[in-house]
Amino acid sequence: MPETKVLTAGIGEANLRDLAIYRERGGYEQWRRAVAEMTPAQIQDVTMKSGLRGRGGAGFPTGRKWSFLPKNDRPRYMVCNCDEAEPGTFKDHMLLEETPHQVLEGILIGTYAIGSHHAFVYIRGEFRKGYEIFMQAVADARAAGFIGENIFGTDYCVDVTVHRGAGAYICGEETALINSIEGRRGEPRLKPPFPAIKGLYNEPTVVNNVETLATLPHILKNGPEWFTAVGTEKSPGYKIVSVSGHVKKPGNYEVPLGTPISELLAIAGGPRDGRTIVAVQPGGGSSACLFQEHLDLGYDFDTMAANGTMLGSGAVVFFDDTTNFVEAALALVQFYAHESCGQCTPCREGGHWLEVTLQRILDGGGMHSDIDMLVSVSHQMTGLNLCPLGDSIEPFLASVVKRFEAQFRAYVRTPERVAVPA
Amino acid sequence: MSARVDVKLVNLTIDGNPVRVPEGTLLVEAAKAVTTDIPVYCYHPKLGPAGLCRICLVDIEKAPKLQIACNTTVTEGMVVHTYGEKVDAGRKAVMEFLLLNHPLDCPICDKGGECDLQDYSMAYGASASRLADPKSSKPKAIDLGPTIVLDDERCIVCQRCSRFDEIITNERSLVVKDRGQRDVIATASGEPYRSNFSGNVTELCPVGALTSKTYRFKSRPWDNARTHTTCTQCSVGCALNVDERYGAITRTMSDEDDAVSDGWLCDRGRYNIAFYGDARRITTPMLRTPTGEFVQIGWDDAIERWAKHLRDAVASDGADSIAAIGGGRLLNEEILVLAQTMRALGVTHLDWRAGRQRQASPGAYGGTYVDLETADLVVAIGRPPSQTAPVLDLRIRKAVRNGARYVTVGSHPSDSFVVSSHLARVSDLAAHVESATRVAFVWDGIDAAVGAQAAELAESLAARGTHVSTFVASEQSNARGAEALGMSPQNGSADSDGIFAAARAGKLRVLSLLGVNPMLHHPLGASAIRDAIERTDFVVCTELFLTETAKLAHLVLPARAAFEKSGHVYDLAGDVLAVNAGHTAPEGTLADADMLVALAAELDVTIAAPDSLHAQASAAIVATATAFGDPKFARASDATSETIGSKGDARNGVRIAIAANIFSGGGSVYFDERLAALRPSPTATFARETAATLGVHAGDLVDLVAGERTLVGLVAIITDTAPSGVVTVIDGLPDAPANEFADGETVALANVRSAERALTAGAV
Repeated sequence: MPETKVLTAGIGEANLRDLAIYRERGGYEQWRRAVAEMTPAQIQDVTMKSGLRGRGGAGFPTGRKWSFLPKNDRPRYMVCNCDEAEPGTFKDHMLLEETPHQVLEGILIGTYAIGSHHAFVYIRGEFRKGYEIFMQAVADARAAGFIGENIFGTDYCVDVTVHRGAGAYICGEETALINSIEGRRGEPRLKPPFPAIKGLYNEPTVVNNVETLATLPHILKNGPEWFTAVGTEKSPGYKIVSVSGHVKKPGNYEVPLGTPISELLAIAGGPRDGRTIVAVQPGGGSSACLFQEHLDLGYDFDTMAANGTMLGSGAVVFFDDTTNFVEAALALVQFYAHESCGQCTPCREGGHWLEVTLQRILDGGGMHSDIDMLVSVSHQMTGLNLCPLGDSIEPFLASVVKRFEAQFRAYVRTPERVAVPA
Repeated sequence: MSARVDVKLVNLTIDGNPVRVPEGTLLVEAAKAVTTDIPVYCYHPKLGPAGLCRICLVDIEKAPKLQIACNTTVTEGMVVHTYGEKVDAGRKAVMEFLLLNHPLDCPICDKGGECDLQDYSMAYGASASRLADPKSSKPKAIDLGPTIVLDDERCIVCQRCSRFDEIITNERSLVVKDRGQRDVIATASGEPYRSNFSGNVTELCPVGALTSKTYRFKSRPWDNARTHTTCTQCSVGCALNVDERYGAITRTMSDEDDAVSDGWLCDRGRYNIAFYGDARRITTPMLRTPTGEFVQIGWDDAIERWAKHLRDAVASDGADSIAAIGGGRLLNEEILVLAQTMRALGVTHLDWRAGRQRQASPGAYGGTYVDLETADLVVAIGRPPSQTAPVLDLRIRKAVRNGARYVTVGSHPSDSFVVSSHLARVSDLAAHVESATRVAFVWDGIDAAVGAQAAELAESLAARGTHVSTFVASEQSNARGAEALGMSPQNGSADSDGIFAAARAGKLRVLSLLGVNPMLHHPLGASAIRDAIERTDFVVCTELFLTETAKLAHLVLPARAAFEKSGHVYDLAGDVLAVNAGHTAPEGTLADADMLVALAAELDVTIAAPDSLHAQASAAIVATATAFGDPKFARASDATSETIGSKGDARNGVRIAIAANIFSGGGSVYFDERLAALRPSPTATFARETAATLGVHAGDLVDLVAGERTLVGLVAIITDTAPSGVVTVIDGLPDAPANEFADGETVALANVRSAERALTAGAV
């Protein structure tokens, strides 16, 4: 199946940051329809029927997530998670900068759908340009009457608050993000209670990804059947995939879910001349590697899970036969050790341990026992933490140590040496 | 039927034992019912679950992976295994991570022997580390503030300290800085960690990361002999444990299950212990010779002289020429012996009041600590309880945490961190009490007129069905006992004002001062008190140190302090609490009770048998249901604070606010060498615009003058939080005693000199 442009339609052709241009292409029409013609329950129903699954990483059905909100009169909040920082992922970044109004329209529809009157948009601190573009979009939308009091002549009022992060991967975790908005240290909260019950400012809260929300106008416009007609049964719709690594044309490509990985490779220009792809990490830095034999698998949530990995945020990194997997492993482990908030013991200590061990192996001081230790420690730190960050090291590390063990063992120069702490 | 009956119970199985606990109970607490020890580091019953350390893993049947017991709520039919292969494997994994970069310097660590990390590493730790690289090194012995030293290498980042500072005190200065393996405990501001409750973090710390400066390298826990007693530094009455080694007090620790303190101690109660062993303690009776010097005499001689002067005075001028002041710092039994001995001689001029406070009993609505923490409106009138009864203030903060509003009234801003409103007058409270259903009043017992206004409001609230509870936070720890047990003037006899007036008029022959320091605290002021003492034939003073007052006495008797004697005290809520001797008193000292029993024997007067005193004292408290702010407690010379403000020439002056401070005083704190960093120095605090109007700059030295009275050499502090048109000084400082000044009167500023000029002048 070829690349299909839905969310990415118009990018690179028209200046979608311009409100007038966005509106010429039907922009904010779904927002008007939602508020003027539909009830929040109807939008929830359409979303539920569309089978839309969260695009941030966990793939949780969006309609079901909304259904966990209590049925009460407490204030409630919609939070748009634009703290995109998963290694290999750069789709939300693009949506924010190129189609800010589409993102905003999705946020507003989502806010209305859950019965909220206040949306918070958490933008990764490094996205300075995206932040400025989005702030302009919010100002333009406000001036045009899409945000504020009595939207489209109804009695519905809505406000949008934009909050910039300060450079922490962990703030992409929804409860850490909520802490960060509240001005607290960006570290995940203990659950339960879940955000749907007690989230931002202790009120019921939904945290949705940028791409998830940006999809809503299209589902409203075309109907849930249009969405379920593509993709697989349990992974319907389109997905923007950030393809990077050893390919000729890395970039964001929007495809129906279920598209074979080999096709993604082809869309991205294929491997570099004379090179062979030996591994692919299909769902961001936290996912386990797949290998040559997996390239024909369909790229959807369930196929990935069935093969021991995940679709995650939709970041596909290809590795060709020039890859040093010890260095690759160190790069990722360094990232997770650096980004651990340090709350949970296994994540705080384990990541750092693996990092110094891998560094020593690369520096030539490795022992065979270190290689077994990498696998055992990364496994030992998994499943013991408050949030998934500590569980993010094992999948990639264990899969590449198993597949490319020889590369790791080759670094061991003195097999029997006993290391003496300095 | 109590509400307790409605609590739904849940059945579950823990390690094969059936357990029935209330719905909503956390698994870690439920396990205590079958005395199962689930290891915890970050969890603490008072702080709640945090889910950080991950050591409390348990195996719950049907759960896909191990769960943390600290944040798992019990459910019906739950089957839990707290040990076994799977659980042990999980805990061993966590333990390996915890110990990975821990320095394991147990042999030089103060926590060694009572360290949770040490204890659980016996159960779950490996004998050798798999870490082949050097442990990461972090700063050790960081000076976190005036009381605490931090060792970042030992820290396991359980965040108990920072959560205490956020949840319990609401002060929010401690945070986790940086992240991941680099994270360390620090203050958010980078300034030293200052809190009146800082010592609690050393007890909460499950490892040796946070240690008290006063206890570092002093003892091994197993070498300490421990005594459970009651703190007598203020009127709250927190239970505490005193640890002694080789005859010296090494430390005090809180009692986690204590109903009075809720398990916390303030830093005054915790750290003010070095005075017990101070070389300046008086250890022998001292008699002033006609030429003015003190000579040491024996105890028999001392008691005989005291008795002789009393007998002679009765014989020559009648019992009206005798008076005694004291009791507020004594034990119940001592107060009774004092009152009974004096009354047996016919002495009626007895008063416990030696400071500003006039009343100690809370009246008919006297409340319990539970009343306070369940109030939905707490009103503090006068001096803030944060300085006069710190641990009571933590209750107020707890009430606020539970949703209460906290309103303070008067000229003293509170540093409780949870104040919702600050009002000038009791009459301003009307709007605040409107919606409240449970109101607690905390009064300082000083201004009877203000107390009466509060009593009137309390009465009207109670009449319309509002739950009212009242509390008096006293200047002296056992003021309530002294007031109840016979040390209050009766039937027109003189109060301390009257006693000193009589002395100045030459009408007094013998004055006994027991554990009081009127030179520093009595509102008549030092010169009047000096005059009164000098005009009295014979003044006896029981004291620990040669205080300003003791120096003037004719006979000074070396007394014992709270940890050196046994008996009972009242706390401000009216509970009778046991005080147990946990420290060997210096040789030569006697408890006031023993001196008084000897005196009674010498005088041949009959007092109650010592073993009946406690029962007598405990029965007496019911007789004190006097109204809050009863006019009979008012000072004859008192003007209300509302009128004081308008006195004087306000054009050249400012109103003086005389603030309480937890570390002021001329006794135990003043003679504690280890508390130098916590003792306040004489300062004058101004609001920014007030300072600008007066031409005062921060750091200037200023004098305050009202008529003949002066306060000299106060260092000016300028803040944004001080009230406008007011200069705040600290009460009870021997270097600048403010007792001659009335709270709220107008004073003039004099002799303002810049710090630089002052320095030069000093050099010349």
